[in-house]
Amino acid sequence: MIRLVPNHALKIVRSAPVVFTFDGQSVEGHAGENLAGALLRAGRLHLRNAPANGGPRGAFCCMGLCQECTVRIDGQVVEACRTEVTQGLAVERAG
Amino acid sequence: MSDRFDIIVVGGGPSGARAALAASAQGLNVALIDEQSAIGGQVWRAKNASILSAPKTHETRAGDALRRDVLASDITHIEGARVWQIETGWTLHVLRKDVSSELTCKSLVLATGAREYVQPVPGWTTSGVLGLAGATALFKQSLTPPGKRTIVSGTGPLVFFVASEIRRLGGEVAAVVTPNSRRDWMRALPSMLGRPALLMRGAIWVADLMLAGVPIYWQRVVTDVSGDDQVRGVSIAKLDQNWARTSEDIMLAADSLCLGNGLIPNIEAAHMLGVPIRHDHALGGWIPETTEDGGTSIDRLYLCGDGTGIRGAEAAAHQGTLTGLCAAADLGHGTVNLQKQAKAKWLKSARFGMTMTALSIPRVGQAQLTTPETIVCRCENVTRATIEAELNAGAQSSNAIKSGSRAGMGPCGGKFCATAIAQLIAQQSGAPVANIPPATPRPPLRPVPLSIAAGSFDYDALPIPKPAPL
Amino acid sequence: MIYDTAIIGGGIMGCGSALRLAQGGQRVIVLDQGDLGQGASGVNAGTLSLQIKRVKLMPYALKGHACWEAMGKAVGFAKTGGYTLAFNAREAALLQERQTLKAQAGAPIEFVSNNQLRNGEPNLTQQVVSASYCAEDGYANASLTGQYYLGKLRDAGIEYRERCEVTAIERDKNFKLTTPQGTINATRILLAAGAWLKPLAALMDVHLPVQARVNTVTVTERMPPLMSTVIGHATGLLTMKQKANGTLLIGGGWQGLGTPQEGRGRVSVDTVRPNLALAQYAVPALGTARILRSWTGFEANVPDFYPLAGVLPGVEGAYVLGCVRGGYTIGPYISQLMGDYILGREPELPLFDPGRDFKEGTI
Ligand SMILES: Cc1cc2nc3c(=O)[nH]c(=O)nc-3n(C[C@H](O)[C@@H](O)[C@H](O)COP(=O)(O)OP(=O)(O)OC[C@H]3O[C@@H](n4cnc5c(N)ncnc54)[C@H](O)[C@@H]3O)c2cc1C
Ligand SMILES: Cc1cc2nc3c(=O)[nH]c(=O)nc-3n(C[C@H](O)[C@H](O)[C@H](O)COP(=O)(O)OP(=O)(O)OC[C@H]3O[C@@H](n4cnc5c(N)ncnc54)[C@H](O)[C@@H]3O)c2cc1C
Ligand code: FES
Repeated sequence: MIRLVPNHALKIVRSAPVVFTFDGQSVEGHAGENLAGALLRAGRLHLRNAPANGGPRGAFCCMGLCQECTVRIDGQVVEACRTEVTQGLAVERAG
Repeated sequence: MSDRFDIIVVGGGPSGARAALAASAQGLNVALIDEQSAIGGQVWRAKNASILSAPKTHETRAGDALRRDVLASDITHIEGARVWQIETGWTLHVLRKDVSSELTCKSLVLATGAREYVQPVPGWTTSGVLGLAGATALFKQSLTPPGKRTIVSGTGPLVFFVASEIRRLGGEVAAVVTPNSRRDWMRALPSMLGRPALLMRGAIWVADLMLAGVPIYWQRVVTDVSGDDQVRGVSIAKLDQNWARTSEDIMLAADSLCLGNGLIPNIEAAHMLGVPIRHDHALGGWIPETTEDGGTSIDRLYLCGDGTGIRGAEAAAHQGTLTGLCAAADLGHGTVNLQKQAKAKWLKSARFGMTMTALSIPRVGQAQLTTPETIVCRCENVTRATIEAELNAGAQSSNAIKSGSRAGMGPCGGKFCATAIAQLIAQQSGAPVANIPPATPRPPLRPVPLSIAAGSFDYDALPIPKPAPL
Repeated sequence: MIYDTAIIGGGIMGCGSALRLAQGGQRVIVLDQGDLGQGASGVNAGTLSLQIKRVKLMPYALKGHACWEAMGKAVGFAKTGGYTLAFNAREAALLQERQTLKAQAGAPIEFVSNNQLRNGEPNLTQQVVSASYCAEDGYANASLTGQYYLGKLRDAGIEYRERCEVTAIERDKNFKLTTPQGTINATRILLAAGAWLKPLAALMDVHLPVQARVNTVTVTERMPPLMSTVIGHATGLLTMKQKANGTLLIGGGWQGLGTPQEGRGRVSVDTVRPNLALAQYAVPALGTARILRSWTGFEANVPDFYPLAGVLPGVEGAYVLGCVRGGYTIGPYISQLMGDYILGREPELPLFDPGRDFKEGTI
């Protein structure tokens, strides 16, 4: 099939995989990428629970403003879209 | 750390970076601060460190060029640094690597860019729904599509760019849904003819989608998103000229959705500093009052880029140059000639940018997509019905709605609900949205961990004023 | 249309008085330059603490607590009890002296042992050397003030106008108030304009020595439970509580910048920092809480820090109510007294003559 927009997926070279945990389960990512991207690729979209039974939420603005992607690391709430993945990082669902 | 610069520019997008370059070229000591780890802003956001190599695109080339220029200049680029509060005079409180420090300068340029507006529809809070512009941020830094099968919905050219990028990154586009009609685009055509390269890019995006058999639903809108903890599908319906729905829904299956209704300027920093704001639909809503050169009613405070009205990346860059030159001239450096050139380029590119912005101007029917049960304030989980109950009880302003219902009180600071709330107040009161300003903005500009805001301290050194009268 | 009383200022003082006057059969109107209850009454810290009330105002504060309890859920009322902490010997002495006097004035304040304190608030720092406790203390949600009173005014059929600034006051047979929404005529007027009392009284050439403090409050994101009571500091420079939704509200009268005439005040990082530092010192686990918003509000006072509640000096038919220290706590009650006074009834407790000599400590 003719494509005017090429498929670049196979031409992207990523750094070595690292393993971190999300709510205790191992997730693979690449050193230097952000958590929101790594979790999304792993199919883990539900990052936090909204207050007052607002249900599951995940990354939305991808630019550090909406606060929907927040997770907890070492007790501190951080934006997954602005936090780098590192080997062994323990990430918990917030809210 | 307390460093005094001649000029600090907040925002390393095309506008801020060009402002910094222009001022620096006049021999001034300039700092450029951005919370991203590289220059580029939203449009030319850089790849993150996990991408070792990838094919170049129009965006990466433009971004690389800007990054090279900044690197080759004398600008002090402070990356990964969030400005969380600004005090007149100018002191900037900057959060970087878990430490807050203060930077000072003689003149301040704010080039804080835009964020997107998404009209709340039932289910828009489901995980797997990304903002349409937000999706491009994901693509640019992570080179990852939003899911396996994505519906892309929104206004203006962005919807086709996003669909095309998903295909480039190996994802599948289930459908493109856009409230714009082909006629809307025909109207924009004359102004696009002046930009043949962009017109060509757009044509390729659309032609590629058509060749791939991706359905493009013109003058349609997403009315509902289904799925519990992940998107399973969306409903779409046909719209009339005023974007009121005219047909029953049809269902489309997908595991992800990109959804957007245009961009709105990030005015909070300027607004907090006391710059008056006004409403202009043609520029994306509420904008700070500036002169054409980026000056404000506040001495030595300048604004430029999409944060002063949505005119697009090219205009943002020229406006940045103009503003940087003016800020430098006010400090006694520079010539009028360069300013004239920059201004002419800015005005020309702004005209084109505003034609694109016009495709996203909300129309009256749009507000009805937000049903009574729809969550309007995502942070605090406040529905349209709750806000309307507040209105019926007599609340008449964004502040009153916020106080009474908590809508806009959450961690995002009302950035993603203010527009929809004003729309609801307007509808109920019959007043134009131009009479309904957003709630009073409050610092910090971004959430800051308390320990970092407090800084290190010694209890005995705490300045304890005299106790209250007994 | 001539109103019996026109009330200028729709904060707690103005709205509370309006309700009383309407109960007494008067036809009243409430005018506010902004929205109802968005001045000090809507942005204050909401602390209802007898431990930080002035000794001479204690009877009013006790009555005020009862009013808030009666308003209950609609204003986010919670009676949680509260601790006031001293971290060194000097503060302990201050606490001892002050709380003893307040207890004598009728507040059920007691000193607690370290064990009692730890059981009550396990997340407190180990640095506490002395603490007092008052079971009556708690809080309400100040941001609900406007909504609450607006509903009450509507229920009582009381007229109100928002975005209706009084810019001139004339007096012949009646008072004529100039506003952007036309002239309002009234037999009497009540000035309840909070931190704006001075310019308002000046419209009638009356000088009120009103000053405004610019108090700062900060709120955090939702956190897991860290405290269950209202926590204060012996100097009064810290008050904090965790709301049912998990957010923490931190105040203590730290001063921001700006004046009421300029519009809204500005937060000063120089004063927010020590306020937050003190909070974290008291409850170290607060360190990870992200702060979401800091704001300021104008709290009015006169040189002796006692209320203005009575006749506006020299202007028959004009009254003034404001400058009440702890005015959120005391407001619902003292406004009833003010209403009674205007209605010609004897108030249950004495009011505070606005024509007095304001040298400190003369009451
Ligand atoms: C998510 C998103 C994606 C977009 N993608 C495209 C696109 O692909 N193509 C296109 O033509 N247009 C795009 N736009 C439109 C965009 O507004 C461009 O026109 C262009 O980026 C505007 O340039 P600018 O310099 O004015 O602002 P921006 O490029 O937005 O730059 C502003 C910069 O300021 C920084 N900043 C803001 N506040 C602070 C703070 N408090 N502390 C530190 N840093 C701060 C931000 O990190 C950002 O880098 C996008 C907009 C958004 C919101
Ligand atoms: C930040 C802060 C924290 C505080 N914390 C506490 C606390 O924890 N506990 C406690 O008990 N007390 C507290 N207080 C004190 C308390 O909030 C005030 O004493 C009380 O709310 C005052 O009520 P008011 O009605 O007099 O004033 P306001 O609520 O300020 O009302 C005055 C109204 O008059 C209006 N107005 C002014 N001029 C005009 C005009 N010309 N025409 C029309 N309208 C006009 C204004 O818009 C305003 O709405 C705090 C105060 C502040 C500022
Ligand atoms: S996705 Fe919005 S803050 Fe991360």
